[in-house]
Amino acid sequence: MSAQITVEELAELMKKAAGVTVAPQDLQQQYDSAFDSLGIDSLGLLGIVGELENRHGTPMPPDAERCKTPRQFLDLVNNTLMAGA
Amino acid sequence: MNAPHVRRAGVTGIGVVAPNGTSTDAFWKATQEGMSVLDRVTREGCEHLPLRVAGEVRSFDPSAAVEERFLVQTDRFTHFAMAAADLALADARLGQADADSAPFSLGVVTAAGSGGGEFGQRELQRLWGKGSRFVGPYQSIAWFYAASTGQISIRRGFKGPCSVVAADEAGGLDALAHAARAVGRGTDAIVAGSTEAPLAPYSVVCQLGYEELSTVEDPARAYRPFTDGACGFVPAEGGAMLVVEEENRARERGVQVRATIAGHAATFTGASRWELSREGLAQAIRGALDEAGCAPEEIDVVFADALGVPEADRAEALAIADALGTHGRRVPVTAPKTGTGRGYCAAPVLDTAAAVLAMEHGLIPPTPNVFDICHDLDLVTVRARPAELRTALVLSRGLMGSNSALVLRHSAIE
Repeated sequence: MSAQITVEELAELMKKAAGVTVAPQDLQQQYDSAFDSLGIDSLGLLGIVGELENRHGTPMPPDAERCKTPRQFLDLVNNTLMAGA
Repeated sequence: MNAPHVRRAGVTGIGVVAPNGTSTDAFWKATQEGMSVLDRVTREGCEHLPLRVAGEVRSFDPSAAVEERFLVQTDRFTHFAMAAADLALADARLGQADADSAPFSLGVVTAAGSGGGEFGQRELQRLWGKGSRFVGPYQSIAWFYAASTGQISIRRGFKGPCSVVAADEAGGLDALAHAARAVGRGTDAIVAGSTEAPLAPYSVVCQLGYEELSTVEDPARAYRPFTDGACGFVPAEGGAMLVVEEENRARERGVQVRATIAGHAATFTGASRWELSREGLAQAIRGALDEAGCAPEEIDVVFADALGVPEADRAEALAIADALGTHGRRVPVTAPKTGTGRGYCAAPVLDTAAAVLAMEHGLIPPTPNVFDICHDLDLVTVRARPAELRTALVLSRGLMGSNSALVLRHSAIE
């Protein structure tokens, strides 16, 4: 498992945990859109965080589930993974 | 009753997802033909359990009916509910624009007896198999009785009164009455009804404790109320949602009121105390007639609870006679659910849908698989019976002791 979360992995998690299908290239263009507008509610984001924690075997900071946009989320998560590596 | 300030609630839309049809037309066709779809249980993980026969909804594709993001966070019982609500709203010609322009004028009421057993089992298996970190967050909402009400209101943007009746079978009628009261208090329309999905391994095992459950292997003999062969009831999944709407408002929209919800009453006589349900059900019938301002002789058809347990069948036949007097022996009685099974709270809602359709078509659907009645009832069997039907009485009793009666009046064609 790569230490960094890619936009592809986030798109896959969004589908698995929240049932929202967005192609990675489209997600890249909506980097600063709110998760809400992508159809991801707070429980959906919580599910994405839980799945990431299980895959990478490391806890994410509480702020992860409060991120508003994909950019904020990936920045926070990848910084956390980098620090732990 | 006809004073302009009285707000009356009528049925303006019907949406059915049932074992014998996943549209209202298919359901009515199978129901009036007296077709039985009871069959061996084939749901995954249930095949080896002692429950052999049930009413499964086999021709329903959730992904064709509901968006994936709602499917991942909900159980099968809510999939049925969202699909049935869509069908009912389309039938009533209530579109998304109606909700968007007046979201507080629309609400949701459902009844639920078993909740989201399949979803809950999957997540609990993750809990004990892998640990709490592997339980998805939607477990917190998916398996609760209120899930269908909540998801319908979120998905369709309804912000009016929303509630759930967590109950036994009779709760299906109580939910319709609750919706009618909400309309009476000022809400334009309520999507109301019940769908259930009790055919998952965990849910089936829970039901095995019911002494009223039929474990007979032969689908043609497993559920035969009011006969000497009565051996309990067969469970079912699916159900129906109705649009319960203020009648003047419906007429202003140019939509026909298909039946008025005229009266309802409920009583409680204790779990599995079927002998006592005679008095409880009779009292519920009297209360419903009273509220409807309806004489016993005006009842043109009775949709029976028809549990299929000899003691309970006897109590129901006697309750009908107690409440309707000599008319109780003459009035046609039917129990189409012997062809589909009892879907817990959904069962009396399907009966209500069938009652509205029966009044519209002037046709009393028969009671499949039932012959040789051993009670003093005019039970309609074998084939549908033509009749002019202006008023219908729907009865329901629950395994936990509730008794409920609902009076429906056919609205004159305008």
